[in-house]
Amino acid sequence: MRTPSLFRLLAGIAVAVPATFLLLGASPASAHPMPHSVVLLDVHDTSVTAALELPVTDLQTAAGTTDPVALRTYLTAHIRPVTTDGRPWTVTVGDIAMSRAEQTSTGPYSEVTATAVLTPPAGADVRHFTLDYDVIVHQVVTHIALVSVRQDWAAGQTAGASSVGTVQIDIRSMTVPPLTVDLGKGSAWRGFVAMVHLGGEHILTGTDHLLFLMILLLPAPLLAVRGRWRTPVTPRTAVTRIGRTTLAFTVGHSIALAVSALGHVEFPAWPVEAFIAASILVGAVHAVRPIFPGREALIAGVFGLGHGMAFSFTLAEMQLSTGQLALSLLGFNLGIELVQLLLVALALPGLLAVARLRAGAALRVTGATVTAIAATGWLADRLGAPNPVARAADSAGSHTTPMLAVLAASAIVAVLWGARTRRKKDQTGAVAVSPG
Amino acid sequence: MIDETSRRAAPTRRPWRGFAIGAVAALLIGGGYATANAATVNGKTKDKTAAAPVVQPPRGTGVAAVVNAANAFLATLTDDQKAEVVLDFSAANATAWSNLPCGGTCRPGIGLGTLTDTQLAAAKVVLKAAQGTGHSTGFDQAMQILQADDILADSQGSGSDPAPTGSTDPAATASSDPSATATADPSATATATATATATDVPTDIPSGTPPSGGPGGGGGPGGGGYGSGIYFLAFLGTPSATGTWQLHFGGHHLAVNLTYKAGKVAGASPYFVGVEPTSFTDDAGATVQPLSIMHDGMLKLTSSLTAAQQVKAKLAASFSDVLIGPGKDGQFPTTKEGISVRELTPAQKKLVLAAIHPWVAVVDDATAKQLMKTYESELNQTFVSYSGGLGLDTHGDYVRIDGPGVWIEFICQDGVVFRDQIHFHTVYRDHTRDYGGEFTF
Repeated sequence: MRTPSLFRLLAGIAVAVPATFLLLGASPASAHPMPHSVVLLDVHDTSVTAALELPVTDLQTAAGTTDPVALRTYLTAHIRPVTTDGRPWTVTVGDIAMSRAEQTSTGPYSEVTATAVLTPPAGADVRHFTLDYDVIVHQVVTHIALVSVRQDWAAGQTAGASSVGTVQIDIRSMTVPPLTVDLGKGSAWRGFVAMVHLGGEHILTGTDHLLFLMILLLPAPLLAVRGRWRTPVTPRTAVTRIGRTTLAFTVGHSIALAVSALGHVEFPAWPVEAFIAASILVGAVHAVRPIFPGREALIAGVFGLGHGMAFSFTLAEMQLSTGQLALSLLGFNLGIELVQLLLVALALPGLLAVARLRAGAALRVTGATVTAIAATGWLADRLGAPNPVARAADSAGSHTTPMLAVLAASAIVAVLWGARTRRKKDQTGAVAVSPG
Repeated sequence: MIDETSRRAAPTRRPWRGFAIGAVAALLIGGGYATANAATVNGKTKDKTAAAPVVQPPRGTGVAAVVNAANAFLATLTDDQKAEVVLDFSAANATAWSNLPCGGTCRPGIGLGTLTDTQLAAAKVVLKAAQGTGHSTGFDQAMQILQADDILADSQGSGSDPAPTGSTDPAATASSDPSATATADPSATATATATATATDVPTDIPSGTPPSGGPGGGGGPGGGGYGSGIYFLAFLGTPSATGTWQLHFGGHHLAVNLTYKAGKVAGASPYFVGVEPTSFTDDAGATVQPLSIMHDGMLKLTSSLTAAQQVKAKLAASFSDVLIGPGKDGQFPTTKEGISVRELTPAQKKLVLAAIHPWVAVVDDATAKQLMKTYESELNQTFVSYSGGLGLDTHGDYVRIDGPGVWIEFICQDGVVFRDQIHFHTVYRDHTRDYGGEFTF
């Protein structure tokens, strides 16, 4: 009786997880005929990083220069955060670069991007301060700067942007009033929940991770005999295999994620990403001809290490404190597992059914071929040769709704088909399809 | 049969049922999500069958002619269309105009592109009566702005949508307009504006209107794009020769707001007019320069300034748009800047008046004449200032005329569609007569 309750749990997840994704709103759009400045705040434990996007035309007018050294001085003079009791923060302006951008109704234009680290005096509140900011606006009085929070772990915000306010001239007095920044209360729980979210989203939109797991599971319901995939194994064996492979993948990427994040080990991104592409390719070959039959779990675990390193990039970007990082690891992993479990559960009926179909072999080889093409595209892309195959494969990750719908539909079809063939079998007493 | 039923409940079958529950649930959610997405797609569903009485030329003169034309126009509309045109004369509706190509999401009224030929002709009769007979001013100028927008539409490939977010998301417009924010909290004000607009404007449009509608639901073709069909006409309050009401006509680069009170025009502002491209060739091969009358008037004035006058007139601040654009109602700088017209020569004073006139001519000729008289009497308390260059041919070249009543800004900006050209934005306001002085800000 344990089995049904497990499936009820899965059904619950199937409802809950997609529902949470529906709640992920789009970030607010904004429009202005002339491009405005954008200030994105990343709130850390003891400092705030401000990413600035400054339209060049107005910046040039206001600063009289676009020389990086002079701009650094200019920006430092015009970004003045102070504590609520008036003590100045320190401001360190970092990288300054030039890029192209486009906002609603503006057409394309050039912008300067810069980062500034804002640090409150020792002991001062990082979540409540006054931002006396008048970059460009002090001179180009029709310019505005939209200030928002891009990342605030303790408030549970890991992506998107929530508006803090607009810096603009008060026309009546022709002065620029400082912006009051109130980030509210932060808590570890909110950070944790956000990380569960992020983990789930990461696996759902990370087509490559998902494809690796699925391609490894594709031949799981089959028995390998003399270098060929032959007859289907019993459903129980298939489910056990699928469970073992999934678990091994989880263990692998969890270990790598924890080691790389907690140990502050920095892996270079491209070899890891290329390794992942290669792992999918290997999986695809294995799905056509068994090259490591019975050792899928081991392979999943080993390649899982690589996938875990890739996951760690997401966390590394967030510059979290150790405590936040530990909680993030737990939450992020939990989110990954939940969604992974959901997707495997949705795929399971289809996998089992395909193994029993007469056209099963053709379907399996087709799936493996498509996967191999995507993997090859990714591999080439990550080794420095961008190509349309990789782009198409990546874009699949942004269509999570149809993807889930297809998976769910396949599950339903598989279940119905299973029920029908069994009924037929019951009625005729004959074995229409061999269960192996 | 009994046997089969019992078999179906056999343990080996249970997994399938579990999957089925999960699968169905996921499918339902996915389906709901897709439907919700589909619902936000803008649809044009207008009942165009409403051919009604033949348009009468407006009877009477002045405001009476405007009211008669307005009623004649209303008589050509269906009840649903009337509900789009005749709205409350509330501050929210009156101030809900924009210079942006944001279709019906950021301004009240019915889209010209949704009207039948008869209805459109009747609408133009209203505008003609309300906006005067001047050449390249008022009605004539407005029609040239519409033509210019068709040029933009063509250049974008049959009116493609350069501002997709603007067409479906009223919130986008609100934040476009962080503007309404002399107050401490910009986001709060912006939200208030959006909500007011979305709720105050009747949305009881025939079936087929997207549920996410708002005023944008009744928008014209394309919603967020360019083109002469995406201009909107609204009457805030019921047109009458005795009551108080406002005519709004606007779209990209155009916002005409004429307020009538007891049979008189109580305000011909705010009037936003801009243009891109600044010069183009019409179907007949003639060169059209919709704002040249304004540009040239300002240029004559700035060119007349002596070196000493220029020093006084020069503003310290720089501009990349007009200062008191949409959403900035009532926010005039407390201190007037620049050179006092009192210090100018009589010839220069005439140039100031000549420069003001094209904006004031947004309204019927008689009213424009009266307003000009008022502004003339206030000339000595009026200031002229500029920023950037005096040539009015470069991004950031800016001129302002600020008097006790009149406020005019003219600015050259880099082009948005034609990137290698400048384009013009201008606004005419009146310190006390905007919206007929009906609202305090």
